[in-house]
Amino acid sequence: MVEWLESVLAGAVQMGTVYLLASLGEIYAERSGILNLGLEGIMIMGAALSFLFTIAYGHLTALILVVIVGMLLSLILAVMAVSLRLNQVVVGLALTLFGIGMSGFLTHPTIRGSVLLHLNPDLPETALIIQEAPKLPEIPIPGLADIPLIGPVLFKHNILVYLALILSFAMWFILFKTRIGLSLRSVGENPAMADALGVNVALVRYLATLVGGALGALAGAYLFIGFQPFWVEGMTAGRGFIALALVILATWNPLRAILGSLLFGGVEVIQFRLQLIGLGAQAPQFVLMLPYIVTIVALSLLSFESVKKRIGVPAALGIPYSREEV
Amino acid sequence: MALLPIRFERRLTYTRTAAILTTILAILLAFGAVAILFIILGLDVAAAFQTILNVFITPRLFFQAVVRGVPITLAALGLAIAFRMNFWNIGAEGQIYMGAFASTGIVLAHIYYGFLPEVLVLPTMFLTAFLAGGAWCLLPAVLKAKLNVNEILTTLMMNFIAILWVAYLIYGPWRDPEGFGFPLSIPFPDYAKFLFIAGNQAYTGFTITLIVAALIYLLFRYGKLGFELTVIGQSLDAARYAGINIAKAIVLGAFLSGGLAGIGGLSILSGIIGRLRPDLSPGYGYTAIIVSFLAALNPWLIVPAGIFFGGLFTAGEALQATLKIPGAAVEMFQSIIFIFIIFGEFLKRYRIVVGGGGSGG
Repeated sequence: MVEWLESVLAGAVQMGTVYLLASLGEIYAERSGILNLGLEGIMIMGAALSFLFTIAYGHLTALILVVIVGMLLSLILAVMAVSLRLNQVVVGLALTLFGIGMSGFLTHPTIRGSVLLHLNPDLPETALIIQEAPKLPEIPIPGLADIPLIGPVLFKHNILVYLALILSFAMWFILFKTRIGLSLRSVGENPAMADALGVNVALVRYLATLVGGALGALAGAYLFIGFQPFWVEGMTAGRGFIALALVILATWNPLRAILGSLLFGGVEVIQFRLQLIGLGAQAPQFVLMLPYIVTIVALSLLSFESVKKRIGVPAALGIPYSREEV
Repeated sequence: MALLPIRFERRLTYTRTAAILTTILAILLAFGAVAILFIILGLDVAAAFQTILNVFITPRLFFQAVVRGVPITLAALGLAIAFRMNFWNIGAEGQIYMGAFASTGIVLAHIYYGFLPEVLVLPTMFLTAFLAGGAWCLLPAVLKAKLNVNEILTTLMMNFIAILWVAYLIYGPWRDPEGFGFPLSIPFPDYAKFLFIAGNQAYTGFTITLIVAALIYLLFRYGKLGFELTVIGQSLDAARYAGINIAKAIVLGAFLSGGLAGIGGLSILSGIIGRLRPDLSPGYGYTAIIVSFLAALNPWLIVPAGIFFGGLFTAGEALQATLKIPGAAVEMFQSIIFIFIIFGEFLKRYRIVVGGGGSGG
């Protein structure tokens, strides 16, 4: 029983890290007033590029490059939504479609070899055709990892799992306890007021969007090299959109995002388990529907609450800001 | 704004010529971007573009482009309704699958139980495909209207559920018992196909899109609902002051929107592939979003825009077969066109002024 609980909880933490990383970045973007519907596209690009870059350069360089690409992709959103004041929903969707198409194109067996040789001409022939990459190593925390139950659940993971947890606390602290966080929140609540008080609205929105892009790409990279290092086209399967829902469930709060990501991570682990014990062997599709159904139900339940209290929604979310056109 | 020494002035008006020119420019820029990528990867750009061009100048291939354009156009016409009222229906893909599911249900019921005269099969399929697609958009619409639940996320989630539902049927109860285990339904008989105009799927499909485009045009030109949806899209406050029943209008508009995508699903089965398959749509529902924007939500422009994108899918298949360029290249190309179209939207609305001045600071 303990072993079963241990593996389910540890699985929820590992799966949940995908959601946690993505939603943490998105919380910052949305707190500044930018809705990044391109998250799914940025994540799938992160996953695809972590595959190609890891084969070409190894883990560390791959992670750095993936984060840079994530920032570049979100820069497109920032330029178009912040500077050019275009509709964020439309720009975000375009970015998602771009990410899905581009990741499928670059990793396709007929193209991948040539992409990899461009990245690293010294790669052996065999590296050009493999579908998988080495997984990020597990780093058990000495001492803590041996505690029964808590050890395997919290202290026996790869570096990105720890990073996501540490980031949750750090980003919560910055958002609610520092001047930077105050500027960020004010820009998302009332950009005209923030502007009048001397906050550079455009700069804050650019930076917050870049943070979102960086973490979104990292979430995708984690999904591949940190969780399931076998490339499947479109492997994010809508998780970027679930992360967007999670941001709402977490009421734009990085610490609550931990709980939300455990919920969705848990749902996916239960989904695997149900398949393992043969339930849904006849019709696995119904089990696979679970995360999407849970998302709709959770959003609806939360809306009962938020209609009453209007919790936490950044007031200027999705609205472009310009001094001349307030 | 403050990051760069340039300023944007809103244009008060723009001409139709300017709009057309920016759209053409957007498509050309997208071709340019793809050309650069192909050159870097050592792919044969000239041959690739020749293949795309061939689709639009070879009659046989152009017919295929029209046929593939039908579901895209129908879904995009539906989306135009939703987008006019700022209801972000991203669920056309799922609504397409539900329309396909419902129309297959009618065909199977007719074949196994024979409860309808043959002439009524296709009309019944139209009706059920419309209802199923509409119903699939209804839940997000009701949640939006009653609880203000974000419809972007719910319509998207519904896509995944619909695709899995069709997969369940086709790997399970609806699999053709004589299909050697392939995930396919039994093939549709001719009376369930789009052959009623000139015995040709392209003519039939194209006629249907023209009729639907005319209906949407009339809806927005003369219909009360069309007017209400436009007001809701422009300002919720104005709609409230005008005494419009907003919840009712949103639910109705969303139902129509999903219903048309549902007919799009029917048009894939009856007009292109002739049976139910789990991969019946290569993302037509997402392409429809791009098409409706390319056409600036104008129903008459959606028809040629839909055919253009249908042509890109046709070209994609040719590229795969002859040049070994993966099908994802089409998706990538489409999304790049989309990005440039959105950028063109900016050029249409603003004039760029270099060198600050005024209040830009």
